[in-house]
Amino acid sequence: MDLFNDIPFMVLLLLVPLMGAVFAAFTHRNRNNAKWVAIIFSAVTLALTMVYAYVMATATVPYLDADSWTWIDTDYIVISFSLYVDGMSLLMMALTALLVLVVSIFSSSESNSANTFFALILAMEVGLMGVYMAHDYFLFYIFWEVTLIPMYFLISGWGGPRRHYAAIKFFIYTHVASLVMLIAIFAMATEAAAGGPLNFGFDEVKLALAGMDTFMQAALFGMLFLGFAAKMPLVPFHTWLPDAHVEAPTAGSVLLAGVMLKMGSYGIIRVCLDVFPEGAKAWQSAMIVIALVAIIYGAYACIAQNDLKKMVAFSSISHMGMVLLGIATLSSIGVSFAIFQMFAHGLITAVLFMVCGLVGHNAGTREISLLGGLAGKMPIFAAFMMFGFLASLGLPGLVGFVAEFGIIYSFFEYLQGTEYLWAVMFALASLLLTAGYYLWAMQRSIFGRETDKIDLSHVHDVSKPEGISMGIVCALIALFGLMPGIVMKVIETVQIAGVV
Amino acid sequence: MVSFDITAFIDYVKPIAPHLILIVAALLAPAIGSRSEKMTAVFMTLAALSAIGVTAYMMYDGYTGTFAGMYSFNDFAGLMALLFLTVLSITSLMSVPGTERRRRNGEYFSLLAIATVGMMLVCSADELISLFIGIELASIMSFALVAMKKNDPRSSEAAVKYLITGGLSTALFIYGMSLIYGLTGTLNISGIIDHLAAADVTWSYMIATVTLLAGFGFKIGMVPFHAWVPDVYDGAPTPVTTFLAIGSKKMGFVVFFKIFLMLFMASHLITGTTHQLQWVFAILAAITMTVGNIVAVSQTSVKRMLAYSSIAQAGYILIVLPVATDYAMMGGLFYMIAHVFMKGGAFVVVAALAARGVGENISDYRGLSKRAPLLAFAMLLFLFSLAGIPPLVGFDAKFILFSSALEGGTWTWLVAVAVINSAISLYYYAKVVKAMYVDKGTTKDRLKIHFSFKVAVAVCAVAVVVIGVFPGPIIDLCGLGADAFLHP
Repeated sequence: MDLFNDIPFMVLLLLVPLMGAVFAAFTHRNRNNAKWVAIIFSAVTLALTMVYAYVMATATVPYLDADSWTWIDTDYIVISFSLYVDGMSLLMMALTALLVLVVSIFSSSESNSANTFFALILAMEVGLMGVYMAHDYFLFYIFWEVTLIPMYFLISGWGGPRRHYAAIKFFIYTHVASLVMLIAIFAMATEAAAGGPLNFGFDEVKLALAGMDTFMQAALFGMLFLGFAAKMPLVPFHTWLPDAHVEAPTAGSVLLAGVMLKMGSYGIIRVCLDVFPEGAKAWQSAMIVIALVAIIYGAYACIAQNDLKKMVAFSSISHMGMVLLGIATLSSIGVSFAIFQMFAHGLITAVLFMVCGLVGHNAGTREISLLGGLAGKMPIFAAFMMFGFLASLGLPGLVGFVAEFGIIYSFFEYLQGTEYLWAVMFALASLLLTAGYYLWAMQRSIFGRETDKIDLSHVHDVSKPEGISMGIVCALIALFGLMPGIVMKVIETVQIAGVV
Repeated sequence: MVSFDITAFIDYVKPIAPHLILIVAALLAPAIGSRSEKMTAVFMTLAALSAIGVTAYMMYDGYTGTFAGMYSFNDFAGLMALLFLTVLSITSLMSVPGTERRRRNGEYFSLLAIATVGMMLVCSADELISLFIGIELASIMSFALVAMKKNDPRSSEAAVKYLITGGLSTALFIYGMSLIYGLTGTLNISGIIDHLAAADVTWSYMIATVTLLAGFGFKIGMVPFHAWVPDVYDGAPTPVTTFLAIGSKKMGFVVFFKIFLMLFMASHLITGTTHQLQWVFAILAAITMTVGNIVAVSQTSVKRMLAYSSIAQAGYILIVLPVATDYAMMGGLFYMIAHVFMKGGAFVVVAALAARGVGENISDYRGLSKRAPLLAFAMLLFLFSLAGIPPLVGFDAKFILFSSALEGGTWTWLVAVAVINSAISLYYYAKVVKAMYVDKGTTKDRLKIHFSFKVAVAVCAVAVVVIGVFPGPIIDLCGLGADAFLHP
């Protein structure tokens, strides 16, 4: 396909959503043009990503593409507009493009300042795409911070009753963590510069820091890890997440949990492991403990929740802990399945948050204790909810099972032959807890006797755009659950220095 | 026969050519001002722009020269002249509608121009007396400017406060200067450098340091000499506040750099040892930024919040002194330029709204995004830039300045303090953004903003974004300036 070789895909994937955001912002506030702008531009972005994936798959070096332009070149500081895409980036970009399209369809009935709403969603896509492509720390940090601003406005403009508190907490929490990361970036660049101009390129820094002593590696690894951990989020840096999710509009929640949390784990793999292999070894046991705590704590917290959306938010903490567990094995299989879990969780959590949004909107409340017997009133909705919950608890045949199976297997392999083999029980126990809280929540909300605590006479089932958007994601969950090889083939090509 | 050689004369005055343009304009302004206030403002803006043109050409030409052995023009003086002239044009532009002053006072623009000349003289001064003349020229004009809202008691109160603290600070630093003269026997800066390098730390040396530090500390609003800043900034007419915040303060920094970086630390910079003063400045920088930010959090008036944030920004720029490398100096200059546009822009927005009857409290800004969408968006850019959110110029400035402090490892804690402060500052800037965008206002009437405000806001907003995305040329320029300053 020589036809596609000259297309600057990477730049287009930033430009198309950016243009969409500008167009959407200038559509009329009260007519529903903005949603069409958002749907068309995000569909074009998704199509471009797919063509790009095809081009990359058939290239001589599969799944590797890089390009760089000089941006700032002075005696003091050298920064390039450097983009780089490998299998992991591509997967995350595809997930971003997909979920942005899905939420644009799902939220098409949004009528409150729709132009700004859809512009923010597309602006968010620019930032996310940028984070997954950036190959210069300056650029990476810019995109990293740029994603914050649309999300802040999505929560504080379209969120629930305590939205202002949640938005500002989200913003400051993650901003502070990013600043710690920024100090580490300064330190890396200063160390790598060795008296010459500061250079922030990923490759240049990695090369210059290759011989760094273990102590410095561990220190810098720790600072970067803190920045990424608050984003993922890992216990104890997770407290912003339940607030942000409970208050955010559905579209915000889907993007937040679906792709924004993955920025954290992406950063750990792309930067921490790749640049500081020795630091990673020093932190390995700590990472495993943090991961296990997050997995168990997240799952336990889920059982106690009465708000359906808060439960899903805590389940995200548990599942992202699973990602870290895979990463912490520092084995090629562990990291591969961690990436797979990032992808899988992105799909599943999107369905879960859309389901929660629907309950809140259609039944008027998300309190599990007030719900009951919804399956009779909303059969299609109940089917989607069941599918989403089962996928999330790791039902074999769906995508979540493959990921969690792989991660727990890699953890077992890592522990085999050591005296700590019992630790694998914690990971396995989480599966039990997860199954428990999901089934229990389902039992209380959609099955059983029809509730008399809320007025169900006006409750209606899923609308067409909502059904389409959830249907697309559910189909993909089943597809990749049955044929995980499609995704694994992409992940296999990823090269990370700290991984054996 | 006595003849007048015009070429020789031009060569003689060329180092102060931009200053002369402003002086002539200042003399003409009252004459025009008696006819039309608007014309004077436009005239002064044009005068500032032509002086910018001349300065830029001289820098492009690579010109260096000295006037009367007192004032020299080099890349540093040129760069700072460009900065002050930009400040003058922004201030003149936002003074066009003149709602806060009595009508037809052309002397207002004369005072602005003369104060700018004073600031520019400070940057090119080679010896302490000419430095002092520049400082006094700028200060005395500023006292009068603060009192320009003649029938507002707050303005008069601010002016008196400013006059008294200003007088005290003058007394302190002239005393310090006389001690320096006594120690070294010369007023010439390069002469003092040689003497001080060899001088022992005696009592008189210590007293000179402390009085100079206190005297100039007032000028830049360094904690604990900052108490006048919020009252004066709040009471003065907003264009004058802008002028003080983005102009006068920069002059204070130039003096700081000249006295401390060049005189006291010069020998240490060459040998690479750490001077005790560097520790003093590091601690003062940390305290200044922390006090400014923490007090700013509790402010309800936008103008006072910006005043305290100005104190915090001064703390960031003070990082240059302890770090004291070429890179840090470049970062300091870049930060000053960035500050002109982001802080200046924010004040222009405040003035533009005040001119339409919108109050100065954060609660008055509710629902602004519906009433003046473009102005609110510009304010969002300025505030986010001040908070250091990429890709705006404030981020680049902080990025460069903070990264410079990591070299060598001595000042890592200072970077950590600065970064924490930067995070705190986001909170109070976000409060204003939230009021503008999220809160519902009491009215939805569109605000008609005066054209000259629109121009000033547009200039600042474009600068904040364009320099933010393409900082390369400005970094180069600041690099030249820092080089000319540290290695004359």
